[in-house]
Parts: sequence; structure tokens; C-alpha cells
Amino acid sequence: MNSFKKAINNAHLSRFRFYFQIASFVLLIYGGYLAINIGDQLPTFACIFSEHRGGSCYLLGLQHQMGTPWSSYFSGRGIGILVGLLTFIGLFLVFNKAWCGFVCPLGTVQDWLTILRNKFKIRYGGYSEPVFQRLSKIKYILLALLILIPMAIGNSFFGLATLNHDFGVPFCQICPGRTLLPIFSGDFSQLAIDLSSKTKMVFTALGLLITGIFLAGSFIKKRFFCLFCPMSAFHYIFAKAALLRLNKDGAKCTRCGNCYRACDVGIRAIADDLEHKNIVKDDCMMCLKCVEMCPEQGCLQVKFLGVPVFEATEDGFFKRMRGRDDAK
Amino acid sequence: MDFLSECGGVTMQSDLDLRFVRMQKTTGLHLAMEAENTLQQLTEFADTPQAMTYFYELFRNFYKNGHQLPAGKKVIGTMCLQVPDELILAAGAVPVRMCSGAYAYEQVGAEFLPAKSCPVVKATTGMLHINQPVWGEDVSAIVIPTTCDQKKKGGEMLKEMGYPVYILEMPASKDSDAARFYWQESVKKFALDLGETTGTRITSAALQAVIGEKTECCRLFRKLNDLRKGKTPLIFGKDIFLVTSAYFIDEMGNWQQAVRQLIAELEEREQNDLAVTNRQAPRLLLTGSPPLFPNLKVPILVEQTGGIIVADEVCSSNRLLYDAVSYDEVNLDDMVSALADRYLKPCTCPCLTPNLDRNRKIVELVNSHKVEGVIYQAFSGCLPYEMEQKSISQTMNEAGVPMLYLETDYGNEDLGQLSTRVEAFIESIKARRRKK
Ligand code: SF4
Ligand code: SF4
Ligand code: SF4
Ligand code: SF4
Repeated sequence: MNSFKKAINNAHLSRFRFYFQIASFVLLIYGGYLAINIGDQLPTFACIFSEHRGGSCYLLGLQHQMGTPWSSYFSGRGIGILVGLLTFIGLFLVFNKAWCGFVCPLGTVQDWLTILRNKFKIRYGGYSEPVFQRLSKIKYILLALLILIPMAIGNSFFGLATLNHDFGVPFCQICPGRTLLPIFSGDFSQLAIDLSSKTKMVFTALGLLITGIFLAGSFIKKRFFCLFCPMSAFHYIFAKAALLRLNKDGAKCTRCGNCYRACDVGIRAIADDLEHKNIVKDDCMMCLKCVEMCPEQGCLQVKFLGVPVFEATEDGFFKRMRGRDDAK
Repeated sequence: MDFLSECGGVTMQSDLDLRFVRMQKTTGLHLAMEAENTLQQLTEFADTPQAMTYFYELFRNFYKNGHQLPAGKKVIGTMCLQVPDELILAAGAVPVRMCSGAYAYEQVGAEFLPAKSCPVVKATTGMLHINQPVWGEDVSAIVIPTTCDQKKKGGEMLKEMGYPVYILEMPASKDSDAARFYWQESVKKFALDLGETTGTRITSAALQAVIGEKTECCRLFRKLNDLRKGKTPLIFGKDIFLVTSAYFIDEMGNWQQAVRQLIAELEEREQNDLAVTNRQAPRLLLTGSPPLFPNLKVPILVEQTGGIIVADEVCSSNRLLYDAVSYDEVNLDDMVSALADRYLKPCTCPCLTPNLDRNRKIVELVNSHKVEGVIYQAFSGCLPYEMEQKSISQTMNEAGVPMLYLETDYGNEDLGQLSTRVEAFIESIKARRRKK
């Protein structure tokens, strides 16, 4: 048992993650060919607009359901909404934000862009801490909007007129998941501006612009889009209750900053926060690169239902460093 | 009149020359004696691991025929562990850590430095002064990070002596983004300037190779550090300080080879449960001003008195080799900034403010190495260490670990007084144990 544990802690988790991401990507983008569908309440950007998907993103359903008039919340539709939400929460709670680090196709695409940049030997960009903190709030605004705008379709706020249906699923209209993921199954049709109404035109044009920013941004800055992702904001509401956890023992931390350097999102607290045991921050995608790079025995620990499954060890750290040098 | 004064000038000049030459000679003799004396004391302990012989011989030979710089390649002197030696090696030069622990050199420095300055600065500046006629031509640069004020001012003196001094700008604190980026820029500039000085531009392949070698050194150091955690004392702290001091002057590959052998021997001893000293010896941690060869006065004294140093938090040992560079991408940008981070983020030098990471680090070492008492060595004249004593002492108080504060220097005048205090401290730890 002990040698098994050691082997796991010595593992190059990032390599495993790389292949796992490919497998998830294939499942979620092409699963339909094999009639696989793992559900429509996934806490991850597997887009409903990809024709042969093997499962899809909860945000579409959520936006749809939010358009329901309040009066019908207490009818059968209300139960439908509740079941959807509970399925989403249930799925999320098992793997926590690892959905982002290991599964999300849109996250994976960003990581591939990073690999591409690396091949071109172009240097990466980043934010200073204050800028990071400011940008990090945007995703909450997006989340609030994607719930409030559909609500304003089915209901009147403060006696104002309701919005027309062109405002439905507003986030999907600007989401790079919609424009980009279908491309992988040969469908380029989403790369267009919808001219059927003014509202749609504005939204879809904005969508194209965001797609461009997504591509350029994630080419330069690792996981550029994730910092703004409303799904990530939604996750965070439930993250504290998740079964999979990332814990930190502040007493063992030397504040060496290795973890912060490794973090693609750029979470400073992972190195500097010595107080919180549960160290999953709202922007974390649980890629666990920080655990790999931490040289202090047991300082960072991944636990599932309280059982440690992967932790920082001195041996593991140096093994991976050696691997890094050999790989050149 | 003119003629006379000129004559006078000439005699004065040659008087000075004569004096200098005489001082050079006596310093050389004293230095050799001092080194031999320390080695003598180090080897007098029983049951020293066989693999230590390499290090004893290394230092014996180093000072035997006069203190010389490595030949063959360009030499870059460094004045503090904050200078990334990886960059110097990647630029095809040899880094030589100049911080000296020699009393003989301190005497030279005392001639022209304020009486209250710290012995490390006196000895280092003295060393460079007395060796200037020989070394002046051979040193391509002396790199001084802007850590402590005395080193900075000493650097100005070295410049006047004719040395090519390079100031590596470092922030006085490490927590803000501004400090971090400032330091990263300094290190980047240093990397570029090094290329100019040595004529070899640093490439990403060269830097990656050197970082790999250094990482192996860190891994080995940590192995040694881990071997000191066990209940059975396997190696004396005085020997560990010699091993890490050897890192200053030895070639990396040779050093690794010798340390690997030492580790193998210690692991064997661990298996056979062979203790290097009395198992009841109080387990101590040394922190504060750095023990630098040949000044191993305090560690030797402590261990002669019956204690064993099982851990340390000093810049000539733990701080030098504990942390490895962790870069994410193989390109100069990421590697150089990762290198910069390695020298700033985990640093616990008292020149930084705040420096609470030092308190936390010592507490963690106390726990991991089951330390029963802390020895705090402060060189008189080193104000940052002297002042930080208060904060560390309070932390130790809270942790319930006794601490002995020793203010000392490179001379032997205070040996009697030190030895009485160390003895009393060790006795008190034993008494504490009995009460428990
Ligand atoms: S467009 Fe975006 S938000 Fe909508 S279903 Fe697709 S991935 Fe989810
Ligand atoms: S935060 Fe990133 S990985 Fe997570 S759902 Fe959003 S796009 Fe996907
Ligand atoms: S890598 Fe580990 S020890 Fe270093 S700052 Fe991060 S958590 Fe702390
Ligand atoms: S904090 Fe750790 S797990 Fe979270 S995104 Fe950063 S590196 Fe990945």
C-alpha cells in the first residue's frame, strides 16, 4: 500500500492530465457518434451546439429555465428546474473544479494553445496582482447577467417591460464554446453573425469578437478565458462542499512560490495564503500542477472524501524535476 | 625643497609597499595555520564518516599553497548567496563565493574598516585587499547584491581598489509585485551583462543544463537534511557546514559525487543503527550569522560540549541549497524569472522586511528535526542578525524551545566565556528532559 501511494505521489500528474483531457475531449465532442450521452447538466463547457457531443453544458438549460415566468416555478416546471440544478450540483460536488482542469473542452483548447505558443517559443503574458483581482470579478457579473436577462424575458422587473425572446440564452450567444467547439466536428456555421434581428446581430457579433479575443488571449496568457468564465463563478458557490478537495498545511509552507509559478491561472493565494486549509480559490481549475511543484512533504494535499489521494512530496518533486531535464 | 619632498614621498611609498608585502606574507601563514587548526579540530571527533575525508582534503589543499583562484576560466566573485551562480556557470565562467570566514583576513580588513563593522565584511574586504596584486587581473567581476549596507559600502571600497564591481540590485522586501518584478528585471539584466563580460551568451540549453545540475545539488542537500531527522544521530553539524562550505569552492560534479558517497555511508550507518555520538546528546538548531570556513568555532564548540546540531537556518547551508528552481517552460524568459523567484521568494535573510518566514521556517525545522534547543549566533557588528534576535527569541519562547544567544566574532578571545555559556545551556536542556 505504501509503495503504491509513493508511486502515485511520484507520478507526473500533468502528463496524465494531458491524456485525460484528450480522452474527455473526444468523449464530449464525438461521443454522439457512439450514442454516448452523459447528460445535459454537465458543470463544464461541453457545448450543446456541437452536433455529435457526448454530453452538454448546464448553462444553456439554466438560461432557458430562467426565462420561465415566476408563477410557474411552483408547478411541474419548477420541479424540472430543481432536478436540473440538483443534477448539476451533484455532478459538480464529486469532482469539484477538476471538471475545469481535467474535463472542460474549452479549457483543454486553451491548454493546447499554450502548447502551440511554446512550440513557437513566444513568451507568455500575465497580470499583476491588482489587475488579476479586478478581472477576476467579471465572471460574477457575467453569471448574474446570464441569470437576470432571461428572467427579464419571462417576468417584469419593477414593472418594466419584459425583454423579447431574442435575449434568450444571452451567454450562449457570446460564448466561445458555441463558436469554436462545433468546428471540431466540422461545423463552421456558428462563425457567423445572426442577422435575423438587431438584438441577435449585436449578440452574435459580440460573440465573434469574444472568440477572437479568446484565441489571441489564450495564446498569450495561459487559461486566459477561465478567469472570466461564469461557469467557474457558478462552481464556486458550491465548491466548499465538494468531495474532492485541495488542502494546504500553512505551517509546512515556506512561501517558496513554486506553486504560484506553476499555476496557469495565476492564483497568488496558493503560495501566500497560510491560513486557509481548503485552498481551492474561485479561479482554481484543480489542475493540481501546484501540488506537483510543491517540494514540501504533505504541504499541499488532494483529498477525496477526506482520504489523501495525491500529495506534495520531496521525492515526487525531484523526480518530476529530473523528468523535466531528461525530456529536453 | 621639491627634491626633498619627492624623496620623502618615495620612501613613504616603499615603506608602505614593504609593509604590505610583509602583511601579505604573515596573512598567508596565519591563514594556512588557521585552516589547519580548524581541520585538526574537525577530525578530532570520533567515528567521523569516511566520506568526509574528501572534504577535509579539499580544504587542506585549498589553503596549502596560498589562497588561489581557480585557473583556466573567467572568475566571477560573488558576495552573497543571493547571486544566482547558475547564470555565471551558464555564461561559461566560474563563480567563487567570496564571503570569508578567516580571522587572518579579518585582521587585514580591520586596518581600514570601522571597528564596529561585521567580521564577514572585514574578512572579505581584507582578503580582496591583500590579494589584490595577484587577483586584481584575474577576477572578471565581483557581484554584490544590495542586501546589507556593509556589503554595499564595502563594494565601493573594492571599486577603489580597482576591482570590477557589479551591483546586483535587490529589493528590501519580497511580498509586493513591484519588488518581485524589480528583482526579476535585475536578474535579467545581470544575465545579459554576464554574457558581455564573459563573451559567452547564455542560451536556454546551457541554462537548463546548469539548473538541472544545481537541482541535483539541492536534492542531495535535502537528503542530508532528511538523514538528520532520525532519532539516531548520524552526522555532526560541523561536518555538514564543511560540506556546504565546500559547495562555494568545489566544482558541482565533484561535489555531488562526494556528497553521494557521504549519503550512502550515512544510510548504511542508519541501517546498522550506528550513532556518531551519544544518543542522548541534546539536539540543537543553529541559526544566525553564517559559519564560514575556517570559522566553525561555534559549531565545533557546541558539539565538543556534547550537543549535536541537527538542523540549521543559515545562509551558508540551508538557505544556500534547500530550494530548487522550478520553471514551467523551457525558454530563457521563464527560466530566468523562475531563477529570480528562487532567490527572492523563499529567502529568509534578515535584510528583508518583514522577515517572518524566518520565524516560521525555524519552527518547522524544530518540529521536523525534533530540536530541543536553538543556538543563535550573531557576529558582533551584524546589526540585522543582532536585532532580529528579539523576534526569533520570542517565537522560540512561544514554541517552548530554549534559545541561547551568542554574540561572537572570528577571534578566539571569547572562547572561554562562550564555552561556559554553551555548557550551561546544554546542561539545562538535559535537566529539562529529566523533568519531563
Ligand atoms: S454556448 Fe457556451 S454556455 Fe452555451 S451551451 Fe455552449 S458551451 Fe455552454
Ligand atoms: S473555467 Fe475554464 S475550464 Fe472551467 S468551465 Fe470555464 S472555460 Fe471551462
Ligand atoms: S510550493 Fe508549497 S511550499 Fe512553496 S509556496 Fe507553494 S505551497 Fe508553499
Ligand atoms: S491553484 Fe493549483 S490546482 Fe488551482 S489552478 Fe492553480 S495550479 Fe491548478
